[in-house]
Amino acid sequence: MKLVDVMSAAGLSGYAIVAMVLFMAAFLMIVIRTFAPGSRPQHSAAAQLPFSDDASGPAPRARE
Amino acid sequence: MSAHVDTFSYDDAIVRKFLWATFIWGLVGFLVGLLIALQLANPAFNLGLEWFSFGRLRPLHTNAVIFAFAGNAIFTGIYYSSQRLLKTRMFSDALSNFHFWGWQAIIVAAALTLPFGFTQAKEYAELEWPIDIAIAVVWVAFAVNFFGTLARRRERHIYVALWFYIASIVTVAILHIFNNLSLPVAPLKSYSIYAGVQDAFMQWWYGHNAVAFFLTTPFLGLMYYFMPKAADKPVFSYKLSILHFWTLVFLYIWAGPHHLHYTALPDWASTLGMLFSVMLWMPSWGGMVNGLLTLRGAWNKVAEDPILKFMVVAVTAYGMSTFEGPMLSVKTVSSLAHYTDWIIAHVHTGALGWNGFLTFGMIYWLAPRLFQAPLHSKKLAEMHFWIATFGILLYVAAIYSAGITQGLMWRAFDETGRLAYPDFVETVMKLMPMYWVRVAGGTLYITGMLIFGYNILMTWRARPATYEVPVISAPPLAPAHPEPAAPAGEGLWARFTAARFHRRWEGLPLTFTVLTALAVIVASLAEIIPTFLIKENVPTIASVKPYTPLELAGRDLYIREGCFNCHSQMVRPLRHETERWGEYSKPGESVYDHPFLWGSRRIGPDLAREGGKYPDLWHVRHFQDPRSVTQNSIMPTYTHLGRRTIDFAGIQGRVDAMAMLGVPYGDAVTRAPELAREQAQQIAAGIAAAGGPADLADKEVTALIAYLQRLGKDIRSAPATASAPAPAPGGAP
Repeated sequence: MKLVDVMSAAGLSGYAIVAMVLFMAAFLMIVIRTFAPGSRPQHSAAAQLPFSDDASGPAPRARE
Repeated sequence: MSAHVDTFSYDDAIVRKFLWATFIWGLVGFLVGLLIALQLANPAFNLGLEWFSFGRLRPLHTNAVIFAFAGNAIFTGIYYSSQRLLKTRMFSDALSNFHFWGWQAIIVAAALTLPFGFTQAKEYAELEWPIDIAIAVVWVAFAVNFFGTLARRRERHIYVALWFYIASIVTVAILHIFNNLSLPVAPLKSYSIYAGVQDAFMQWWYGHNAVAFFLTTPFLGLMYYFMPKAADKPVFSYKLSILHFWTLVFLYIWAGPHHLHYTALPDWASTLGMLFSVMLWMPSWGGMVNGLLTLRGAWNKVAEDPILKFMVVAVTAYGMSTFEGPMLSVKTVSSLAHYTDWIIAHVHTGALGWNGFLTFGMIYWLAPRLFQAPLHSKKLAEMHFWIATFGILLYVAAIYSAGITQGLMWRAFDETGRLAYPDFVETVMKLMPMYWVRVAGGTLYITGMLIFGYNILMTWRARPATYEVPVISAPPLAPAHPEPAAPAGEGLWARFTAARFHRRWEGLPLTFTVLTALAVIVASLAEIIPTFLIKENVPTIASVKPYTPLELAGRDLYIREGCFNCHSQMVRPLRHETERWGEYSKPGESVYDHPFLWGSRRIGPDLAREGGKYPDLWHVRHFQDPRSVTQNSIMPTYTHLGRRTIDFAGIQGRVDAMAMLGVPYGDAVTRAPELAREQAQQIAAGIAAAGGPADLADKEVTALIAYLQRLGKDIRSAPATASAPAPAPGGAP
C-alpha cells in the first residue's frame, strides 16, 4: 500500500482547517500578551534601539 | 555588570557596494521593463531578434527588479542596520564579500541565460538548476553571516526590524529549495519534479510568498529602522510592530492559492487562500498606520525633506497594494481581474511605490553617512520624487484602466447572448492607448532614477580621500539576562500577561528563528500535504496520455520562447470563458505537465483548447509573420523557428527524464528520436501538401506545431469525464 492510499483513506481533507484554528489561537495569545498592561516600559525602551548607535554623529547637511 | 568595554568598527564598505549594485541593477531592470512595455505597444520593438522578444525579456525584467534591484536594496539596509542594532561588526567580512560577489554573479548568470531561453517556466523562479544551486549557496552564506552576527551581538534585545530580517532569511530559503526541486536533463535544462496541479500549487505557494518574504517583510524591517531614523522619532507603537510581525508570519504563508482561483486547483485550497488573504488586510494596514503615525508631530519635516516624502509615499503604496491584494483574492473580484493587466498594475504599485520609494528614501538617507559628504543636491532629490511620483501615477492609472477594460470586454455578452467581443485581438487593441501611457509613466520613473544616480554619484565624488572609520565602544553582552522584576500579580492571567515570554524570545535568536520557521513550515505542510497525498484532489482522466517525443520537444520550445508569459492554458469554469475557449480545464488534464504551463496573463489568447483549431500551415505563417494571419496581432515574429533544426538526439534524454518522473512513456523510452522524426515528417508533408514550405521536417517550428495541435485534444477524445484514481505525484501511475 502506498502512502497516497493511506492518506486518501484517512479522511484528512479537513485538517487544514484544524491547523488554521490552531494558528489563530496561537496568534490570539500573542495579541493578548502584546497588548496586556505592564509591557509599555519594555516596548518604549525597545523602540529607542535604532537611536542607540549614534556615536558617529549626524550626517553632513545637504547643500540646499 | 562588567566594566570591560569592547571597541570595534562597522563594515560600511560592504554597504557601499550593495548600494551601488542597487542603483546599477535597478536601472538595468527598469530599462528592460521600458523595452518590454514598448514591445506591447508596438511589436516592432521586438527587433525581430529572438533574444529580444517579449517572452524572453519579461522574466529578465521581473528577476532584475525583484532579485537584483530590490535584493541589493535589502542587503544594503540589512548590512547597515543589523550592525548598528546589534552593536557589532558583521560576523565575517569574507562571507559579506562572498555574499556580495556571489549575488552579483547570479544576476549576471540570469542576464546571460534568460534571453537565450534557459528557463524553468515558473514565475520569479525561472533560473535553471545550476543557478538555483548557486542561489542556495550564497543565501546560506548570507544566513551564516547574519546569524553569526546575531550570536556576537552586544545588545540583548533584538529590535523588531531584525525579526523581519530573520523571517525573510529563513522563509526565502525554504521557498527557494522546495519550489525549485527539479530533475536536470542538460547543463541548463531541467524538469520540475512536480506536475500539473501540484506544480501550480508549489509555484504559487512560492510565488506569493516570494512577494511576501522578499518584497514585503525585509522592506518592513527597513521601514522599522530607517523611518524612525529619518524622522528622528521612535516607531509609533512597538506593540503594533510585534503584532504586525506575527500576523504576517502566521497568515502570509497560507495565501498563495488565491493566485489559482477558478483553475483546476481544489476548491478547498482556493477558499483557504482567499480567507487568509482577506485576513492579511488588517495587519498590513496596522503596519502602514504604524509607519505613518511614526511621523506624528513631524509632518512639517515631510514638507521640507525629500527622504521623508519618499518614505511616506512608500508606506502609502504599501497600504494601497495590501488593501488591493486581499480584495483581488476574493473569488468574484479575481474572476474579473485574473489574467488581465489589473494584476500588473497591482504589482507595480508595490514594486515602484513601496519597494522603489523606500529604497530611494533609504539611500538618500544613507549616502551622506556612507560617503561622508553632504548630499549633492536636495533640489534634485525633490525633483526625483515628483517626477517618479507622477510616473507611478501615470503607469498605474493606465494599467488599472487597461486591466478592468480587458476583463469587462472578455465577459461582455450582447443582447443575443453571444460574446460581445469574440475576436480576442479586439480586446488587445483597445488597450493600446493605455500601453503608450504606461510607456510615458515608465519613462518618467526612469528619468527620476537617472537623476537619483547623478545625485548619488556627485555625492560620492565629494567623499574624503580616506573614509573615516569611527571606533565604537560597547560593553560585551552579559551572560545573564537581567530584566526588571515582573509586576506583582496572582493567578494564571497575571502570570500569563507578566510571563515575559515574548521578551525572552527576543533575546534568544535561535529560539525565535525556530519558532518563526515552525510557523511557516506547519502552515505550508497543512496546505501542501492534502494536495499531494489525497487522491480526490487530482482525479485523472483516462484519455489523457503523455506527449509524444516530438510534442515534448515542442513543449520545451514553447518554454524556451517564454510563450507562457502571454498565453494561459487554463479555461476557467465561467460562462464567458467556456463560450470563448471551450470546455473548462480539469486537474487531470495536466498530470504529465512537468512543469505546469497554466500561465498568469493573457496578452494573447488562451491555448488550452488550441489543438485542431487552425491548420498546421496557419501556424507556420503565424510564426513567420503573426500580422499576416491576425491583423493587429502584437505577437513577435518567430522566423528563427523555421531556420533552426530540432535537436532529435537530445529528445531521448528528455523522454527518459519524464519517464523517471513517472510519465508512462512505453516504448518511447527506447526509440524517442525515431518516433519524433516520423511525426515531424508527417506534419511537414502535410504543410508542404497544403502549399507551405517543403523543408520543415527537421525544423523547430514543426515540433512546436506538434505540441500546439495536441493541446486540449485528449479531453475531447474522452468518452465521459469519469474519474480514475490519481497516480502518486511524481510516481508511477
